[in-house]
Amino acid sequence: MRIGVFVCHCGSNIAGTVDCEKVAAAAKDFPDVVYSDDTMYACSEPGQQGIIEAVKEHKLTGVVVASCSPRMHEPTFRRAVERAGLNKYMFEMANIREHVSWVGKDKELNTNKAIDLVMIAAEKLRRDKPLISKKFDINKRVLIIGGGVAGIQAALDCADGGLEVVLVEKTTSIGGKMAKLDKTFPTVDCSSCVLGPKMVDVAQNPNITLHTYSEIEEVGGYVGNFEIKVKKKATFVDWEKCTGCGLCMEKCPSKKSFDYFNEGIGTTTAINIPFPQAIPKKAKIDADFCRKFTKGKCGVCAKICPTKAIDFEMKDEIITENVGAIITATGYDLFDFKKYAEYGAGKYPDVITSMQYERLMSASGPTTGHIKRPSDGKEPKNIVFIQCVGSRDKSVNRPYCSGFCCMYTAKQAILTKDHIPDSQSYVFYMDIRSPGKSYDEFVRRGIEEYGTEYIRGRVAMVYPVGDKLIVRGADTLAGSQVEVEADLVVLAVGAESAVGAPQLAETLRISYDTYGFYMESHPKLKPVETNTAGVYLAGACQGPKDIPASVGQGSAAAAKVLALFSKDQLESDPQTALVNAARCIGCYKCVETCPFGAIKEIEDRFGNAKAEVIETICQGCGLCSVTCPQSAIQLQHFTDNQILSEVKALCPSMMEKS
Amino acid sequence: MPVYDGKELRIIGFLCNWCSYAGADTAGVGRFQQPTDLRIIKVPCSGRIDPLFILKAFQGGADGVLVSGCHPRDCHYAEGNYYARRRLELLKRFLPVTGIDPDRFEYTWVSASEAPRWQHVVQTFTDRIHKLGPSPLLAAPLTDAEMAKLQSQVEAGSGCGCHK
Amino acid sequence: MTGLEELKTKILGALPELDVVIGWEQGYDALNATPLFIRKPEDVERLIIGPLCAHNLATYLPGLKDKKVGIVVKGCDSRAVIELLQEKLINKDNITIFGLKCDGVVNLNKIRKKIGDLGQIRKVVFDSGIITITAGETDHQLKFSEVRMDKCDTCKYPNALLFDHFIGTPDDRQNGIEPEHISDAEFEKMSLEDRFAFWKQEMSRCVRCYACRNACPMCVCRDHCVAVTRDPHWISQENDTADNWMFQMIHVMHLTGRCVECGECERACPMDIPLMLLRRQMNKGVRDVFEYEAGIDPQGKPPLLTFKVEEDNIPEREW
Ligand SMILES: Cc1cc2nc3c(=O)[nH]c(=O)nc-3n(C[C@H](O)[C@H](O)[C@H](O)COP(=O)(O)OP(=O)(O)OC[C@H]3O[C@@H](n4cnc5c(N)ncnc54)[C@H](O)[C@@H]3O)c2cc1C
Ligand code: SF4
Ligand code: SF4
Ligand code: SF4
Ligand code: SF4
Repeated sequence: MRIGVFVCHCGSNIAGTVDCEKVAAAAKDFPDVVYSDDTMYACSEPGQQGIIEAVKEHKLTGVVVASCSPRMHEPTFRRAVERAGLNKYMFEMANIREHVSWVGKDKELNTNKAIDLVMIAAEKLRRDKPLISKKFDINKRVLIIGGGVAGIQAALDCADGGLEVVLVEKTTSIGGKMAKLDKTFPTVDCSSCVLGPKMVDVAQNPNITLHTYSEIEEVGGYVGNFEIKVKKKATFVDWEKCTGCGLCMEKCPSKKSFDYFNEGIGTTTAINIPFPQAIPKKAKIDADFCRKFTKGKCGVCAKICPTKAIDFEMKDEIITENVGAIITATGYDLFDFKKYAEYGAGKYPDVITSMQYERLMSASGPTTGHIKRPSDGKEPKNIVFIQCVGSRDKSVNRPYCSGFCCMYTAKQAILTKDHIPDSQSYVFYMDIRSPGKSYDEFVRRGIEEYGTEYIRGRVAMVYPVGDKLIVRGADTLAGSQVEVEADLVVLAVGAESAVGAPQLAETLRISYDTYGFYMESHPKLKPVETNTAGVYLAGACQGPKDIPASVGQGSAAAAKVLALFSKDQLESDPQTALVNAARCIGCYKCVETCPFGAIKEIEDRFGNAKAEVIETICQGCGLCSVTCPQSAIQLQHFTDNQILSEVKALCPSMMEKS
Repeated sequence: MPVYDGKELRIIGFLCNWCSYAGADTAGVGRFQQPTDLRIIKVPCSGRIDPLFILKAFQGGADGVLVSGCHPRDCHYAEGNYYARRRLELLKRFLPVTGIDPDRFEYTWVSASEAPRWQHVVQTFTDRIHKLGPSPLLAAPLTDAEMAKLQSQVEAGSGCGCHK
Repeated sequence: MTGLEELKTKILGALPELDVVIGWEQGYDALNATPLFIRKPEDVERLIIGPLCAHNLATYLPGLKDKKVGIVVKGCDSRAVIELLQEKLINKDNITIFGLKCDGVVNLNKIRKKIGDLGQIRKVVFDSGIITITAGETDHQLKFSEVRMDKCDTCKYPNALLFDHFIGTPDDRQNGIEPEHISDAEFEKMSLEDRFAFWKQEMSRCVRCYACRNACPMCVCRDHCVAVTRDPHWISQENDTADNWMFQMIHVMHLTGRCVECGECERACPMDIPLMLLRRQMNKGVRDVFEYEAGIDPQGKPPLLTFKVEEDNIPEREW
């Protein structure tokens, strides 16, 4: 092998505290190194050109660049090496900037360390093998999980881009939280007026297949070729026949069913269409409340339904969808406000959540938009909003900021004044966070034009006196105790990860944080990608987000999928595990530990059990290599011998023997 | 390369690409100064680290070995660090049996954003190794004193008891 | 071990269905037993059982994977069978197990240390805890408890744990067994420096004959053992202390959570290196951390092939 070593000064970034010439000179003595030099900026155009020319001139078969982190420029140099006519995996990097020059002051010690790092890179390179990517076809369909505003946006963008879309939503209608909102900040435009048309577009777009009241059962396969098992839960109504006329709702005798859409403010019927604008507009029976299921007799709806759509015998059904990419847009759920007993949450009927308040204000809500308090139906005059209920509070394990509560509280206070001109709103807050475009102006307008009174401080307790609630707290700016007499208390409950988010993440093999929000691939540079190829994120499932940001991510994820599908074939990363069949004894310990199901059990032509890696599924973690006692399965580019050679290079007593 | 006499000891680090190696990068970008002894070997995942690599390093005379991966739950490969945790914990408990001070080996979790934590880990571990001094060497012959002691143990029928 | 006649009858009954039954017979003299491969009914006559039958015959099973095999096992041997089954290295459908109850087996090294090498042994008799060895015209009497194998001192599983036929009556010797061998306690008193020197001395004596590996029922790699390959190149073939040490580390690590403490490695070692000390200490770690013992439950899962998101006995890292 003929190795060339290039030691980069990175201007003074490296050369300032590392003697680059000395490093290059020392590298000349390493085994197989035939060329070594230092260069000002290796990544610059002339720097890369220099590498290419040296490869040609000195007939190099492998290249080591000592410069910045491989996480920064490995792709750059691999391309350069490829342009020089070498296989791009015949290349190694020594990180002498982030790991040396930037963290150590002593030039002599730094130089010594840099020499070591170049040596282990060269030792690894001596055992590198050219690797070639495999090409495979893509199934250009995309699965979108979650039909909130983020999922809807992603679905429409993908469909506009000509892709076939499968949209899977857990509830009976798409729309998510936004469908429940009355008006939205900072423009105070009607939520269902802007979302409604988009929902209709989803229903009408021929490229979109919609599965509502459905969930993901199983995900198999890999980027380009996923196989998805979708569970269509039984609605007990044949949706082929149901026209959404709503006659059943008029006649259903079980009128005290829990109204999920209205957050339990008001009730609904056991057979119901959740809201008038629902897409699809189809009825579903809630078996917990239906008398046919709870008491064994009734069936009124079956008799009344003009199309005979009711089917009490209906069972869950599993269907299979094949797609090439997945966008996860499962949104968020709300903090259980009952955990704040001191606020009387769940105890006093007039202490409600912000989402319940949205429904109270909404024209499509149970009070047709007249704000009436739950206990006695009276119009409240004094309304107290308490912020950060389940946000920024370590004691309930919610240390993070939910991001949108400050804004929606400002909005709700403004809307309250619109609904009830002689009302007065108070907001207890910790800080006002309003960093979006026109957001701070919006909050100011609430204070200045709508007279919302902001009190900075935590509320200690809420207790009833007569038909009023007394809210007692601290005003930390005034440094005094305050008590406000309220007719209604609205808790700005924080966002938490959607119910079942961790389980879905396990099914999708993506990571999630301690709170169940999904992890993006890179917090800055890859905000909608995950670490599982072909799976993307949109909206609040990745972390609390308002509507503009959720929509933006929906479009971004769609753009990523469109870019992925712009090719007809994908290339797999060849740094995968490889089984040496001669050594494999077919114990399948590797199969047991591979987190991606990337290893197949096969038989060789003599009928012996062997393992085989499916290159396109293998993600290159190397777990299997450690599991296999025979070392029969080796992660290419990180083989036992390569890591051993690095260890040996660092242990002087073993160098000469290897 | 000769290890700098007196100034440096030989510390080998195995870091996963996605969290800890990136965390060490972040520490570099933030100019979090660290002792220079540590030499980092990059692996894709802490699950790629065979405990035998660590024993191999000790065989070769490493004075300390540090392993760092993604925090549990944050593994890029979903489960790699869970397997690593089991393997490394057993190794840590086994080391004293060989006579190698278990303090010479440590495993920990550092994420890509935890630059200060990485600095702290490197500083603390390096200080610890310097306190312990150079590792005993398998390659060095037994001293006369050690021989005499072993001999007397065998004669007294004690030691490990297998030679009664 | 009792019930030789019963065992012979059972084996004769099963033999027509089997390719081979593995048991023990007398070796080159009365003190040495050796494996017996029974293929024909007349071979059964040579079968013996008793305190001389130390070999763990399970070692032969993986090599006979596709044959119909009968095997005679003591309690400890049966754990190896279970572990092999658990790791799918053998197939239960092909195996018929004749399980024994065991009262301990002798360690010939210990006998040799007590009475020296006596040449040809004519007769060996076990009676009420005393073993009488006759060489030439002289009788040597030794206490059995002083010459049995270390593992028998702390044996919790005298009865075969898995069997198709059980011979004799099981022993419930579960209580009053020291969990830890006396030599471990002695060893644990040593300082780290002394331990390091101790192993250095022991490993300098190793002749790298691989007898320990070849005897181990769980060392199933055999020809593909990483100790003898260049790819991967873990150790050189040079017989030096450091590489010998590394070889033992490889063995211990590859046996983590799998070693059934049968003691065959140590018994096989011609240099009498206390290999079991390493194994027992590692197994102790496995017990402490995972509450797991290898070779007990055919359905169990070796601890390194699985994990828990929250581990019960692994403390959170502090830094
Ligand atoms: C009281 C309140 C008022 C608000 N007001 C405003 C405002 O005025 N302006 C603004 O910009 N933002 C506002 N927000 C924030 C807004 O609700 C979110 O930004 C937005 O809903 C996020 O959209 P999404 O699509 O990511 O999530 P969601 O709206 O939560 O949609 C997620 C969808 O995925 C479905 N789903 C979940 N899990 C699964 C699964 N496993 N399988 C299939 N489907 C699943 C859910 O049923 C749901 O339909 C408000 C929030 C609250 C709580
Ligand atoms: S662990 Fe190794 S020997 Fe066992 S099946 Fe996998 S590759 Fe083959
Ligand atoms: S490298 Fe990882 S993903 Fe690939 S086969 Fe091995 S265990 Fe599975
Ligand atoms: S290592 Fe020794 S005691 Fe353990 S299973 Fe193998 S031979 Fe038996
Ligand atoms: S049997 Fe003993 S001498 Fe032979 S390799 Fe094993 S430890 Fe060394």
